Amino acid sequence: MKLSRRQVLGLGAATAGVVVTGCAPFARRLAADLPEDVSLPKGDVESTLRLVNRVSYGPTPGELARVKAMGRGAYLEEQLNPTDEEPLALMVQLQRLDAYRMDAAEMEELPIDLVLMQLQQGVLLRATYSPHQLRERMVEFWSDHLNIYARKGSSAFRKGTDDLNVIRKHALGSFHDLISASAHSPAMLAYLDNQVNVKGVANENYARELMELHTLGVHGGYSQKDVQEVARCFTGWGIENRFLRPKGKFVFDPEKHDDGEKVVLGHRIPAGGGESDGEQVLTILANHPNTAKFVCSKLCKRFLGHTDEAVVDGAAKVFLEKQGDTRAVLKFIFSDENIDQSRPVQKRPFDYVVSALRATGAQSDCGRPIQEHLEKMGMAVYQWPMPDGYPVKPEAWTGTLLARWNFAAALAKNEIGGTSVDLEKIGERSQDFAAALMGTPKVDSIKHVASELPTMAAACLASPEFQWR
Amino acid sequence: MSRGCESYRMAEAKREEETLGWQVSRRGLLATLGLSAVAALAAPSALAQVVLSEDAKEHEGDVIVNVFLRGGMDGMSAVVPYAEDAYHRARPNLRLRKPGDASAGKEYQALDLDGFFGLNPAMASLLPLFKEGRMSLVHAVGSGDQTRSHFEAMNAMERGMYQMRGGLQTGWVARHLESTPRRNPTPLRAVALSATMPDSLRGATHATAMASLTDFRLADPSLRDMLVSLYGGGKDVMAQAGRETLEVLDKLGKLDVKMDPKAYPKSDLGRALQQVGTLIRSNVGLEVASLEMGGWDTHVGQGTVNGWLPSYLKDLADALAAFERDMGSEMKRITVIVQTEFGRRLNENTGLGTDHGRASAMFLMGGGVVGGKVFADWPGLEARQLDAVGDLKVTTDYRDVLADALTSRVKGSHPAAVFPEWSAKQRGFFKVA
Repeated sequence: MKLSRRQVLGLGAATAGVVVTGCAPFARRLAADLPEDVSLPKGDVESTLRLVNRVSYGPTPGELARVKAMGRGAYLEEQLNPTDEEPLALMVQLQRLDAYRMDAAEMEELPIDLVLMQLQQGVLLRATYSPHQLRERMVEFWSDHLNIYARKGSSAFRKGTDDLNVIRKHALGSFHDLISASAHSPAMLAYLDNQVNVKGVANENYARELMELHTLGVHGGYSQKDVQEVARCFTGWGIENRFLRPKGKFVFDPEKHDDGEKVVLGHRIPAGGGESDGEQVLTILANHPNTAKFVCSKLCKRFLGHTDEAVVDGAAKVFLEKQGDTRAVLKFIFSDENIDQSRPVQKRPFDYVVSALRATGAQSDCGRPIQEHLEKMGMAVYQWPMPDGYPVKPEAWTGTLLARWNFAAALAKNEIGGTSVDLEKIGERSQDFAAALMGTPKVDSIKHVASELPTMAAACLASPEFQWR
Repeated sequence: MSRGCESYRMAEAKREEETLGWQVSRRGLLATLGLSAVAALAAPSALAQVVLSEDAKEHEGDVIVNVFLRGGMDGMSAVVPYAEDAYHRARPNLRLRKPGDASAGKEYQALDLDGFFGLNPAMASLLPLFKEGRMSLVHAVGSGDQTRSHFEAMNAMERGMYQMRGGLQTGWVARHLESTPRRNPTPLRAVALSATMPDSLRGATHATAMASLTDFRLADPSLRDMLVSLYGGGKDVMAQAGRETLEVLDKLGKLDVKMDPKAYPKSDLGRALQQVGTLIRSNVGLEVASLEMGGWDTHVGQGTVNGWLPSYLKDLADALAAFERDMGSEMKRITVIVQTEFGRRLNENTGLGTDHGRASAMFLMGGGVVGGKVFADWPGLEARQLDAVGDLKVTTDYRDVLADALTSRVKGSHPAAVFPEWSAKQRGFFKVA
């Protein structure tokens, strides 16, 4: 299916955007956001590929055949209902990573760069090798949504626990439970400064980002006064550091809590509520229609490549009806119709690296050498300083192509430490090497420019088509 | 004269009638009939007409070096209004003292600039530049953003708007490039020294993002021809970017990039400025460099003379001073503009930090600045003079500064096309080149 630019943009939205800039070259440039010549494959094989590309980090050798055999519905059910079981080889690798096993206080003995290396290693390993691919993509989604900058203070030592107990635990679960876990997470309490939010002059940082980025969205109908009231509700929520107490855990300190009456988004929160003030705020926000709309809009953008009103509204309706059940919302988003009408989504560097490792069936420890490539592409895991998470605008990443090309060539030629690919093996599995690697039959240009296997693989991974899913 | 210029002058004249005590150029009154800025905004092809009405020209004027401080830099700590009693009352712990205040150590005293404002002592390396007229400051400057959201405020500024709203997708630098077509445009007209492309360059053709000049090499040069072929036809943003990347590789491949590691502070900003300097010296056609420095969101423990904020201010000042020293006489064709999305609340919070506020300060450097001055229509810091929740009011529109840099320092630029819905209230930050 090939979409014209007008179809892709949706006429109304496009003209609204263009009138203000009022300039044809800009209009062209903006329309280019959604490429008209990245053709979406059609037909039987391709509809499987399209589904796999929406749900996962892209096919591994053999994955398309597996999904075809089991059927679309069964594949989706499998992905929507992940288990805690992981392949043995992955478990063995993960068990070596102290950053996920030790608690923050123990870990502070370790050099921060080692901890960061292990955290990135864990995330990359799971994204590449876990069969529960949808959960991994949701982990990436929520890790941006509830971003924590691991180089701020002691965040690196706390992010491992946050990843396991907040993001991963609730990745496909209840949205309320997710943001509640996040509100109690020492990593978040430290990153957005709520640990120093005490009565008197409250610290607004967490309160503001909770509404602007985690729930309602910036135009979600809250005021500066609401920010200040929510900040008051969360006074006293912090991290335990008193003598002989469980250091580093969540603690509510009534002494530091502002116990007066508050009004949040028109809801009266009576005086004397203590810790329940914050809990009430989380409930109000998690079930707010604007939260539904904001979160669903981001999900549609990430998984379907657009935010068409009908689809976002439909997803938001499910969100509200099912009390923020992420699994139900995703099930709606991944309907056959929505998948068929989805549009290309640019692979951000993390996505690009993981999909390349998967496509080539690479054996990798996902250690420093791979991480250095990711760093050169500007997307070291957990290292976006601002609370909005890594950008999703395609144009933000246009400067990363050279780093992608260098990675593609190094991977194809087996020049990355701790990582190896066996291209002959992929060749055996398929009549058409490039088609197997890229998952699309659009390989004429590849055959035209390369004949040797490593060069062909480099060409596939470096091609403009492989930058999109 | 192009229609873009007319509309700018017209708008300027219109504003002049409403001006309260600002020094405004009289030229505006001479403006003839033309498109008003608002009409230019509404007319679908206004910018296209500006572009078509002129032939492509060689770039003549300054290289603009735009440093964006992300997170909301506390302007009142960088450029301290020490003469305001309210400042000292509102910040009992974080405040710097008046110059010569014997009750505090020398390191706690602001460095006097003009008898009212003082420079943070962490920024001492910039004081000689200010005193010698090679640097100026703007205070109580900012956008109209009321959300106090980093992202809304940055979006507004990087798109060249007063307040963020839907519609305008392109960045102000992108529109500047588009409205000043060149005969032989290179993707190095605008360079962002970062892996990700900032929003100010959003929608730009002839712009490149690179994290490092020295790393900008194809590891396996034998793949070049293959890439040229792969990226020959596509129209999506990545395909276009691929072609531009290849062009930049060819251009930079011819350069001999040697940089003295001791000439700049060993910080991200220091390294980035050094690379900008190298690009400027190499005459690769650079017109705008976009740099960024993060970490200014000082909600907690921002520090007075030691700690987070002073160390960031010192890095900023030392990197700028090193750039000025390194570029030497080249500074006559360089304009450095340092800005941030907003300033911070006047009152310190209980965590000895400051929350999101409104106005902040800007730093201007280069041969073209009207130096040794703090430009400020100072609104005051008493309760009745503050913005709603207790913030320094914005009395200077940041676009006045950017637009004046374009008007005065870059020949043939069209500020009215770059900044829609804007009309100049203030000029005179820069000398006309």
